[in-house]
Amino acid sequence: MFEATARNRRAQRVQKLYAILFGLMTALLILPVLIILGTLIYKGGSMISIDFLFTEPTNGMTEGGIFPALLGTVWLVSVALLASVPLGVAAAIYLSEYAPDNWLTRAINLAIINLAGVPSIVHALFGVGAFVIFFGFGTSILAASLTLAIMTLPVVIVSTKESLQAVPQAFRVACWNMGATRWQTIRRVVLPNAVSGILTGIILEVSRTTGETAPIMFTGAVFFSPYLPQGIFDQTMALSLHLFVVTTQVPEVPEALPYGVALVLIFLVLLMNSLSIGFRMYLRGKKKW
Amino acid sequence: MRKSLIALLGASLFSASLSLSAANRVLIQNKGSDTLVNVAQAWAEAYKKVNPSVAVAVSGGGSGTGIAAMINGTVDIANASRSMKKREIQRAKAHGINPKEHVVGYDALAVFINQKNPIDSLSLDQLAQIFGRGGKFTKWSDLGVKVPGCPSDEIVVVSRQNNSGTYAYFKKAVLKPAAKKGLIAKGTYRQGTRDMHGSKDVVDLVEKTPCAIGYSGLAYATDHVKMVCVAQETGGPCVKPSVKTASDKSYPIARPLFMYTNGEPKGAIKAYMDWILSDAGQCILLKKGYAPVREVHCD
Repeated sequence: MFEATARNRRAQRVQKLYAILFGLMTALLILPVLIILGTLIYKGGSMISIDFLFTEPTNGMTEGGIFPALLGTVWLVSVALLASVPLGVAAAIYLSEYAPDNWLTRAINLAIINLAGVPSIVHALFGVGAFVIFFGFGTSILAASLTLAIMTLPVVIVSTKESLQAVPQAFRVACWNMGATRWQTIRRVVLPNAVSGILTGIILEVSRTTGETAPIMFTGAVFFSPYLPQGIFDQTMALSLHLFVVTTQVPEVPEALPYGVALVLIFLVLLMNSLSIGFRMYLRGKKKW
Repeated sequence: MRKSLIALLGASLFSASLSLSAANRVLIQNKGSDTLVNVAQAWAEAYKKVNPSVAVAVSGGGSGTGIAAMINGTVDIANASRSMKKREIQRAKAHGINPKEHVVGYDALAVFINQKNPIDSLSLDQLAQIFGRGGKFTKWSDLGVKVPGCPSDEIVVVSRQNNSGTYAYFKKAVLKPAAKKGLIAKGTYRQGTRDMHGSKDVVDLVEKTPCAIGYSGLAYATDHVKMVCVAQETGGPCVKPSVKTASDKSYPIARPLFMYTNGEPKGAIKAYMDWILSDAGQCILLKKGYAPVREVHCD
């Protein structure tokens, strides 16, 4: 019969203490999220209506809705996606499936990781220099979206690479042994098995792009524009910049308005994130290993 | 799944563009001064009704931002609350741009203090000695007052970021003359000022900080802060900042507000500039708390 010694009992007590302590830390993590959401809903919930979402701001941006900003954000994010997804996924496929393991590949990988660490304001200035002035796109949706695309490219590449590498090597080997080429293997075996991870990465990119302010501030987003954007060479309002503007720049804004804008922005991001989680679960259910 | 996602995005973009397709528009890009940005916004909003085929996109960022964009040729109209420096004009000319200055209104630079502060008036010299480097006023008791809610007695000096036209004008109009008289060491701001990135931020900070003093365009005044009556000479008569005292130039720190175009404006830009200087445009400026360039009759 095993008898607990004082030493065992003490170890048990310490173990319980740590479980409680770390549990509390985790609870503490959720607290800011709840407080932020709670404050936003409490103070800005009254602003939200169909009119708020789908009308233009009026009377010096102190009344009316946020439609141009909302639509502008959709434009910016969509064009950024069109640029970054094909580029990022292709680069990730090359790096993960084709590239030999030599110094050049390692250097490229290192560069991508470093690109992810560049502050967004630096990307913004790069965007001004490269897209606005050098390529002559002017301050436009195109310039802003390309800046965003470059900024989020590392996220797409890294997440795509990771999900490609999560596909067991045995799958590839089996396929090659059947006489399939590398591309056939990628197309028929690797990509179908990696698509959930790739999609998750893309949707995370969308949610990050939605909230960015610095890169678009100098390259394509404006304080105010009386018209909705009609093409990629137009300038546009954007939700994140609009939030900055109504909070710090415009006098006599009703108190609830900035909270309302923030609420819409955060819900857009949360919506994207839950979409990503949903996709992941759906596609994981279909995985065969 | 991926295809349907892309199709969805494409469809939403397409429908968005369809619902908006109108006749060809002329786009005017307007950027610069944070002081002018709200008037510029109001002009752009109102001009939509005057000429629906012209779209004016407005951005802020500060006078320096607007002028830099003019030099780079990325804007049609630059807003500035200071005039362009000689060096800036030279740089613009080197880029093949010929900036033309238009005065579109006047702005009284109000000096704000907390509502609890008992001070009513300050002279230009006193302001320089509060804001300037080497000035002798660092505590409210140096000015002979005790501010309730400010136990440290220290004057919290609120200024603007250095590419702001408001920053440059205050320096030129208040600090430089005092430096010439030898009241402060150099015509620069003292160290340790709180440099805010917008006129509204200055007013908000002063509202919340009993020890603070700051400056901003009159249009940013609220009921929650106090405006100082400014005297030309210490002990002399003082003038309250208002649209009227800015127009008749009796208020000592009122400045012109500029818009710059590349060369003499033409076409849509000319029509817009003319409308800004018309009664309709100037009344909008007046309503926003700035002084018009001439006498106008508004309803």
